[in-house]
Amino acid sequence: MSRSFAVTLNALGLYAIAFVLAAAFAAQFLRHELPCPLCLLQRIQFALLAIGPILNIRHGPRPSHYAMSLLAALAGAAFATRQVLLHIMPGDPGFGSALFGYHYYTWALIGFCIASVAIAAVLLFDSQFKSDDTTQPKAGTFARVAVWLVIALTAANVLSTLVECGLGACPDNPVDYELLKRRL
Amino acid sequence: MEFAALFLAVTVVLVAAWRGTRTVALVLFGATLAASVATYLHHATDVLKLSF
Repeated sequence: MSRSFAVTLNALGLYAIAFVLAAAFAAQFLRHELPCPLCLLQRIQFALLAIGPILNIRHGPRPSHYAMSLLAALAGAAFATRQVLLHIMPGDPGFGSALFGYHYYTWALIGFCIASVAIAAVLLFDSQFKSDDTTQPKAGTFARVAVWLVIALTAANVLSTLVECGLGACPDNPVDYELLKRRL
Repeated sequence: MEFAALFLAVTVVLVAAWRGTRTVALVLFGATLAASVATYLHHATDVLKLSF
Protein backbone atom coordinates (compact mmCIF):
# COMPACT_ATOMS: atom_id res chain seq x y z
CA MET A 1 0.00 0.00 0.00
CA SER A 2 1.50 3.35 -1.03
CA ARG A 3 1.54 6.33 1.31
CA SER A 4 -0.82 8.28 -0.94
CA PHE A 5 -3.31 5.39 -1.00
CA ALA A 6 -3.11 5.14 2.82
CA VAL A 7 -3.84 8.88 3.06
CA THR A 8 -6.87 8.43 0.79
CA LEU A 9 -8.11 5.59 3.00
CA ASN A 10 -7.65 7.80 6.07
CA ALA A 11 -9.67 10.55 4.39
CA LEU A 12 -12.44 8.02 3.72
CA GLY A 13 -12.28 7.08 7.40
CA LEU A 14 -12.84 10.74 8.30
CA TYR A 15 -15.90 10.86 6.04
CA ALA A 16 -17.23 7.76 7.83
CA ILE A 17 -16.74 9.49 11.20
CA ALA A 18 -18.45 12.62 9.83
CA PHE A 19 -21.36 10.45 8.67
CA VAL A 20 -21.76 8.96 12.17
CA LEU A 21 -21.65 12.40 13.83
CA ALA A 22 -24.12 13.80 11.29
CA ALA A 23 -26.46 10.81 11.78
CA ALA A 24 -26.39 11.42 15.54
CA PHE A 25 -27.35 15.06 14.92
CA ALA A 26 -30.13 13.95 12.57
CA ALA A 27 -31.57 11.68 15.28
CA GLN A 28 -31.26 14.48 17.82
CA PHE A 29 -32.89 17.24 15.80
CA LEU A 30 -35.25 15.42 13.44
CA ARG A 31 -36.50 12.71 15.84
CA HIS A 32 -35.98 14.71 19.05
CA GLU A 33 -33.76 11.95 20.49
CA LEU A 34 -31.71 13.85 23.04
CA PRO A 35 -28.44 12.00 23.86
CA CYS A 36 -27.96 10.73 27.41
CA PRO A 37 -24.58 11.09 29.21
CA LEU A 38 -23.38 7.66 28.02
CA CYS A 39 -24.54 8.48 24.48
CA LEU A 40 -22.54 11.73 24.61
CA LEU A 41 -19.46 9.83 25.77
CA GLN A 42 -19.81 7.52 22.78
CA ARG A 43 -20.10 10.52 20.45
CA ILE A 44 -16.96 11.97 22.03
CA GLN A 45 -15.07 8.74 21.30
CA PHE A 46 -16.29 8.77 17.68
CA ALA A 47 -14.92 12.32 17.32
CA LEU A 48 -11.67 11.30 19.06
CA LEU A 49 -11.28 8.47 16.51
CA ALA A 50 -10.45 11.19 13.97
CA ILE A 51 -7.08 11.96 15.60
CA GLY A 52 -5.28 9.12 13.79
CA PRO A 53 -6.53 9.88 10.25
CA ILE A 54 -5.88 13.62 10.71
CA LEU A 55 -2.29 13.00 11.87
CA ASN A 56 -1.78 10.50 9.03
CA ILE A 57 -2.98 13.03 6.45
CA ARG A 58 -0.95 15.87 7.98
CA HIS A 59 2.33 14.10 8.90
CA GLY A 60 2.17 10.85 6.93
CA PRO A 61 1.06 7.39 8.11
CA ARG A 62 2.67 6.11 11.34
CA PRO A 63 1.71 3.17 13.57
CA SER A 64 1.43 5.52 16.58
CA HIS A 65 -1.30 7.52 14.81
CA TYR A 66 -3.34 4.37 14.24
CA ALA A 67 -2.71 3.35 17.87
CA MET A 68 -4.33 6.56 19.12
CA SER A 69 -7.48 5.88 17.10
CA LEU A 70 -7.47 2.28 18.31
CA LEU A 71 -7.39 3.46 21.94
CA ALA A 72 -10.35 5.78 21.27
CA ALA A 73 -12.24 2.91 19.59
CA LEU A 74 -11.61 0.57 22.53
CA ALA A 75 -12.79 3.19 25.02
CA GLY A 76 -15.89 3.85 22.90
CA ALA A 77 -16.63 0.12 22.66
CA ALA A 78 -16.38 -0.15 26.46
CA PHE A 79 -18.82 2.75 26.94
CA ALA A 80 -21.28 1.31 24.40
CA THR A 81 -21.02 -2.16 25.96
CA ARG A 82 -21.98 -0.75 29.35
CA GLN A 83 -25.09 0.82 27.86
CA VAL A 84 -26.00 -2.40 26.04
CA LEU A 85 -25.62 -4.32 29.32
CA LEU A 86 -27.79 -1.79 31.16
CA HIS A 87 -30.67 -2.83 28.89
CA ILE A 88 -29.86 -6.51 28.42
CA MET A 89 -32.64 -7.84 30.67
CA PRO A 90 -35.63 -9.40 28.86
CA GLY A 91 -38.54 -6.99 28.67
CA ASP A 92 -36.33 -3.89 28.94
CA PRO A 93 -37.45 -1.49 26.18
CA GLY A 94 -33.99 0.09 25.98
CA PHE A 95 -33.12 3.78 25.86
CA GLY A 96 -34.57 5.78 22.99
CA SER A 97 -35.93 4.40 19.76
CA ALA A 98 -34.46 1.71 17.54
CA LEU A 99 -33.03 2.11 14.06
CA PHE A 100 -33.26 -0.95 11.79
CA GLY A 101 -33.96 -3.07 14.88
CA TYR A 102 -31.05 -1.88 17.01
CA HIS A 103 -30.76 0.99 19.47
CA TYR A 104 -28.19 3.70 18.80
CA TYR A 105 -25.78 2.41 21.47
CA THR A 106 -25.84 -1.05 19.85
CA TRP A 107 -25.01 0.56 16.50
CA ALA A 108 -22.25 2.49 18.29
CA LEU A 109 -20.77 -0.77 19.63
CA ILE A 110 -20.89 -2.26 16.12
CA GLY A 111 -19.28 0.93 14.76
CA PHE A 112 -16.41 0.86 17.27
CA CYS A 113 -15.79 -2.85 16.55
CA ILE A 114 -15.72 -2.16 12.79
CA ALA A 115 -13.31 0.76 13.38
CA SER A 116 -10.99 -1.46 15.46
CA VAL A 117 -10.93 -4.18 12.80
CA ALA A 118 -10.41 -1.61 10.00
CA ILE A 119 -7.47 -0.02 11.85
CA ALA A 120 -5.90 -3.44 12.48
CA ALA A 121 -6.38 -4.35 8.79
CA VAL A 122 -4.72 -1.14 7.54
CA LEU A 123 -1.84 -1.65 10.02
CA LEU A 124 -1.03 -4.93 8.23
CA PHE A 125 0.40 -2.98 5.27
CA ASP A 126 3.96 -2.09 6.35
CA SER A 127 4.81 -0.49 3.02
CA GLN A 128 2.92 2.69 3.96
CA PHE A 129 5.46 3.29 6.79
CA LYS A 130 8.64 3.00 4.67
CA SER A 131 11.07 5.59 5.98
CA ASP A 132 13.01 5.89 2.69
CA ASP A 133 9.92 7.41 1.15
CA THR A 134 10.32 10.91 2.56
CA THR A 135 7.97 12.56 0.12
CA GLN A 136 4.89 13.27 2.13
CA PRO A 137 1.91 13.54 -0.25
CA LYS A 138 0.28 16.93 0.09
CA ALA A 139 -3.27 16.71 1.39
CA GLY A 140 -5.68 17.35 -1.46
CA THR A 141 -9.07 18.99 -1.33
CA PHE A 142 -10.78 15.64 -0.69
CA ALA A 143 -8.74 15.08 2.49
CA ARG A 144 -8.83 18.70 3.67
CA VAL A 145 -12.62 18.85 3.37
CA ALA A 146 -12.86 15.63 5.39
CA VAL A 147 -10.65 17.07 8.16
CA TRP A 148 -12.58 20.31 8.48
CA LEU A 149 -15.94 18.51 8.24
CA VAL A 150 -15.10 16.39 11.30
CA ILE A 151 -13.71 19.39 13.19
CA ALA A 152 -16.84 21.43 12.38
CA LEU A 153 -19.18 18.64 13.49
CA THR A 154 -17.22 18.21 16.73
CA ALA A 155 -17.37 21.97 17.37
CA ALA A 156 -21.13 21.90 16.68
CA ASN A 157 -21.40 19.23 19.39
CA VAL A 158 -19.86 21.67 21.89
CA LEU A 159 -22.76 24.05 21.31
CA SER A 160 -25.52 21.42 21.15
CA THR A 161 -24.29 19.75 24.35
CA LEU A 162 -24.06 23.08 26.13
CA VAL A 163 -27.65 23.91 25.13
CA GLU A 164 -28.86 20.41 26.04
CA CYS A 165 -27.17 20.05 29.42
CA GLY A 166 -26.88 23.69 30.44
CA LEU A 167 -24.23 24.72 32.93
CA GLY A 168 -24.98 21.95 35.43
CA ALA A 169 -24.81 18.16 35.30
CA CYS A 170 -26.43 16.54 32.29
CA PRO A 171 -29.68 14.70 33.20
CA ASP A 172 -29.67 10.89 32.88
CA ASN A 173 -32.75 11.02 30.70
CA PRO A 174 -32.81 14.42 28.97
CA VAL A 175 -36.17 15.40 27.46
CA ASP A 176 -35.63 19.13 26.94
CA TYR A 177 -32.80 21.52 26.23
CA GLU A 178 -31.83 22.83 29.68
CA LEU A 179 -30.43 26.15 28.47
CA LEU A 180 -33.55 26.93 26.41
CA LYS A 181 -35.81 25.93 29.31
CA ARG A 182 -34.11 28.43 31.60
CA ARG A 183 -34.48 31.22 29.05
CA LEU A 184 -38.22 30.63 28.55
CA MET B 1 -21.29 20.98 31.35
CA GLU B 2 -18.51 18.39 31.56
CA PHE B 3 -19.59 16.88 28.24
CA ALA B 4 -19.48 20.25 26.46
CA ALA B 5 -15.99 20.71 27.94
CA LEU B 6 -14.97 17.27 26.64
CA PHE B 7 -16.26 18.07 23.14
CA LEU B 8 -14.34 21.36 23.30
CA ALA B 9 -11.21 19.44 24.33
CA VAL B 10 -11.65 17.03 21.40
CA THR B 11 -12.09 19.98 19.02
CA VAL B 12 -8.83 21.47 20.32
CA VAL B 13 -7.09 18.07 19.94
CA LEU B 14 -8.23 17.74 16.31
CA VAL B 15 -7.21 21.31 15.43
CA ALA B 16 -3.84 20.73 17.14
CA ALA B 17 -3.39 17.51 15.13
CA TRP B 18 -4.05 19.40 11.88
CA ARG B 19 -2.27 22.68 12.61
CA GLY B 20 0.18 21.93 15.42
CA THR B 21 2.98 19.48 16.14
CA ARG B 22 2.60 15.74 16.68
CA THR B 23 3.86 16.00 20.27
CA VAL B 24 1.26 18.59 21.26
CA ALA B 25 -1.50 16.56 19.61
CA LEU B 26 -0.34 13.39 21.38
CA VAL B 27 -0.24 15.03 24.81
CA LEU B 28 -3.64 16.68 24.34
CA PHE B 29 -5.10 13.41 23.04
CA GLY B 30 -3.83 11.52 26.11
CA ALA B 31 -5.28 14.11 28.47
CA THR B 32 -8.66 14.13 26.69
CA LEU B 33 -8.89 10.33 26.58
CA ALA B 34 -8.05 10.15 30.29
CA ALA B 35 -10.67 12.82 31.06
CA SER B 36 -13.36 10.96 29.09
CA VAL B 37 -12.54 7.66 30.84
CA ALA B 38 -12.62 9.46 34.21
CA THR B 39 -16.03 10.94 33.33
CA TYR B 40 -17.27 7.49 32.34
CA LEU B 41 -16.04 5.96 35.63
CA HIS B 42 -17.72 8.78 37.55
CA HIS B 43 -21.05 8.09 35.82
CA ALA B 44 -20.62 4.31 35.99
CA THR B 45 -20.84 4.51 39.77
CA ASP B 46 -24.24 6.25 39.54
CA VAL B 47 -27.51 4.39 39.33
CA LEU B 48 -28.69 5.28 35.83
CA LYS B 49 -32.48 5.38 35.64
CA LEU B 50 -32.62 4.72 31.94
CA SER B 51 -35.26 1.97 31.74
CA PHE B 52 -38.87 3.08 31.95
